[in-house]
Amino acid sequence: MTAHASIDRTRSRGATADRIFNAVTVGAAWLVLIVLLGAAASMAWGGRLAFKTFGLKFITSSEWDAVGGQFGALVPIYGTLVTSAIALIIAVPVSIGIALFLTEIAPRWTRGPIGIAIELLAAIPSIIYGMWGLFVFAPVMASDVEPWVSVHLGQWPVVGPLFTGPPIGIGMLTAGIVLAIMIIPFIAAVARDVFNQVPPPLKESAIALGSTRWEVLNRVSLPYARSAVIGAIILGLGRALGETMAVTFVLGNAHDLSVSLLMPSNSIAAAIANEFTEADTDLYRSSLIALAFLLFLVTVIVLSFAKLLLMRINRAHGRTH
Amino acid sequence: MPSRLITRRIVDWLAFLFASAATLFGLFWLFWILWTTLAHGFAGLNGKLFTEMTPPPGSEGGLLNAFYGSMAMILLALIIGAPLGIAAGTYLAEHGRYSRLAKVVSFLNDVLLSAPSIVIGLFVYELVVLPSGHFSGYAGALALALILLPIVVRTSDEALRLVPDQMREAAFALGIPRWRVTSRILYKAAATAISTGVLLGIARIAGETAPLLFTALGNQFWNAQFGAPMASVPVVVFQYAMSPYDEWHTLAWAGALILTIFVLGLNLAVRLVARRGK
Amino acid sequence: MMNDTPVYQQPTEAMPLLIVPNQDNRPAGATQVAIRQLNFFYGKSRALKDVSLNVVANAVTAIIGPSGCGKSTLLRTINRIYELYPDQRAQGEIEIDGRNVLDRKYPLSDLRRKVGMVFQKPTPFASSIRNNVGFALSYYERLSKSEINDRIEDALNQAALWDEVKDKLNQSALGLSGGQQQRLCIARTIAVRPEILLLDEATSALDPISTAKIEELIHELREKFTILIVTHNMQQAARVSQRTAFFHLGELVEFGRTREIFTNPVQQRTQDYITGRFG
Repeated sequence: MTAHASIDRTRSRGATADRIFNAVTVGAAWLVLIVLLGAAASMAWGGRLAFKTFGLKFITSSEWDAVGGQFGALVPIYGTLVTSAIALIIAVPVSIGIALFLTEIAPRWTRGPIGIAIELLAAIPSIIYGMWGLFVFAPVMASDVEPWVSVHLGQWPVVGPLFTGPPIGIGMLTAGIVLAIMIIPFIAAVARDVFNQVPPPLKESAIALGSTRWEVLNRVSLPYARSAVIGAIILGLGRALGETMAVTFVLGNAHDLSVSLLMPSNSIAAAIANEFTEADTDLYRSSLIALAFLLFLVTVIVLSFAKLLLMRINRAHGRTH
Repeated sequence: MPSRLITRRIVDWLAFLFASAATLFGLFWLFWILWTTLAHGFAGLNGKLFTEMTPPPGSEGGLLNAFYGSMAMILLALIIGAPLGIAAGTYLAEHGRYSRLAKVVSFLNDVLLSAPSIVIGLFVYELVVLPSGHFSGYAGALALALILLPIVVRTSDEALRLVPDQMREAAFALGIPRWRVTSRILYKAAATAISTGVLLGIARIAGETAPLLFTALGNQFWNAQFGAPMASVPVVVFQYAMSPYDEWHTLAWAGALILTIFVLGLNLAVRLVARRGK
Repeated sequence: MMNDTPVYQQPTEAMPLLIVPNQDNRPAGATQVAIRQLNFFYGKSRALKDVSLNVVANAVTAIIGPSGCGKSTLLRTINRIYELYPDQRAQGEIEIDGRNVLDRKYPLSDLRRKVGMVFQKPTPFASSIRNNVGFALSYYERLSKSEINDRIEDALNQAALWDEVKDKLNQSALGLSGGQQQRLCIARTIAVRPEILLLDEATSALDPISTAKIEELIHELREKFTILIVTHNMQQAARVSQRTAFFHLGELVEFGRTREIFTNPVQQRTQDYITGRFG
């Protein structure tokens, strides 16, 4: 019966250990929640002075005057949106093209290496992008690309003003292109994974009917994976909105609103990165933190939306199988 | 009919062309960026990089304090963030797999994963730097830990889910208590995948600049104390690159090269090991 | 095919009393597991309907039926492994040695010690062979290192694996072949000395040679354990079991001595299944 007693002791110790272990995992899970909510709350709290002082004008005013104490978020918001839009316009077709290449066209033995190469684009630290952008890419833009754009596209009727301006190299167009390169691997990776998940019977029956590869993609894969691809695109948008270092180097930290894409501007993240350590008044700091709050809010909304779309495709898979 | 077929073939051929061009486009940027970093950084490589501190403007020096600061803060971030991330991932995959909390946390974790890292930096600024009154290596490490956390949570969750249910059931059928099933059997089975996730997380935080800007700030001199501002490679690269001094630019490129080699090397090594494991 | 002399001895009507270690002296033919009015639900759908069955001690009972009939569900109810999944639940009683094991108050660890389970796919732990077999021992008994080694050797012997692995106990279990891994899982299960063994399609994933080895094993283990096997292979059921239960759509259609079920079934459905009309 001593055997039984020791078994009981082992068992009750097991039960306590179970409870402790469980509590630790639950606590860690709560921590993730707390970090997210804490970050949001702390940004809101830090920005309250700016919100209180400027109210809604904070978002609509383009005045950014450190000396006079007037801060308006319009320029950073505008710059963030424009550069992200440029990035998406370039990145989306390229990413889908890469995904098509990797899933249908590339010879099998190359798919792994090329896939890894594209993923490495995502692994490169953004500060490297920034340095390359500042020292190598922007000068090329200034000397070769932008003059061409200004001369040729600048003459077009409606969109002309978008492309006229001095070829400085630093500006929204350059930043948009750099951002595009950064988010291509994210969108391409998700698109590739989703295209690979299209059930072979679906594709095979289309091929058996004589469809070309493009038609298989356009009529079978894309519709099947539509939610996921859109989700991937929105995910890319979410990343582009919050990107800091790459944009800081090549956007220019300007405080004026310009129509021309060739002109410098500012993004929320870049403004914070450039000015926070120099912000000497409470209002200045609070304005920057208020900017951070707006950025956080928008990214959380965008990313949540993306995730919901991506979840929907998983659930749909579950149902159809 | 034949003309329709020809049109379809042309469209298909165009699509093939476009896809190949898109891939070449992507690879082109990759090689240009890597080549630039290699060429510019190589010029700045010399022994002094690893033996001297960051210099004042206009003089030469090294990046020793930055290397040390980065390594120290990454290590501390790892100690803080990895166990918590694995624990939370364990909750999502095992102890709380079907619970509402798990669904919410999993969702928000992925949001946090892609959220702007500069916001995390400001969060830690408000949390640690303001109350303590000064920048510190602790704050920097904490910011990095908070960026590492969602990465480890996601990869641990997925790693544990890869373990087949039957192995779980076999362990429970033997009567082993839950915590032992997780710690002795499941962690062992998922060990490679979990470590892969942690290593990839390290590669990511090694290159992060924005969260360190307002937490660790930077330090021109040697500092091994976490309680004081600490230099780090990305921040030094940022400051030196934005400056007007040529010597600083050279150092910035050298630092960028070392950083890139570290990050990409780690990425490649991890992926190759993962592929071989399969 | 059913009338051929099987490979193994057919049990005779009057069996001598077997002295069995680990178990109380039971008269042959005694019931060890009494299943009464068992209902099982996956969410809202009922997978087992009012199943009542008496499992005989120290005998092999085969559970056969077409896929989806509830065979595995029945097994998984006996050791309550279904409790890992929140939307699965059982109603009714399963009495083992007089106590209802489905009762919330019955300790799960007692149940899991009494009832061992081997799954379809071999699931060795990512550890050495020695660790696999000895893993659960320390949770049930305080044993010295040599006692543990003895028990490991004993279990591996009973699982007919000892000779093949005795020189490589410290090597990873993942290096064994599929059939060896499954015998390792059997050894692991019997190391804690359960009384009842549940084998859920335990040979379905194995090659014919390994399957034959494990069927031979089952025949030997019968002396010490009460065995329930779920199989979709009727010939296996006929070869290996003394009693057979035929399930269809969650109901127990017929239960009796294996010889009777396969040569002279009472129910039409049983007859149809055995002759291959459906399944």
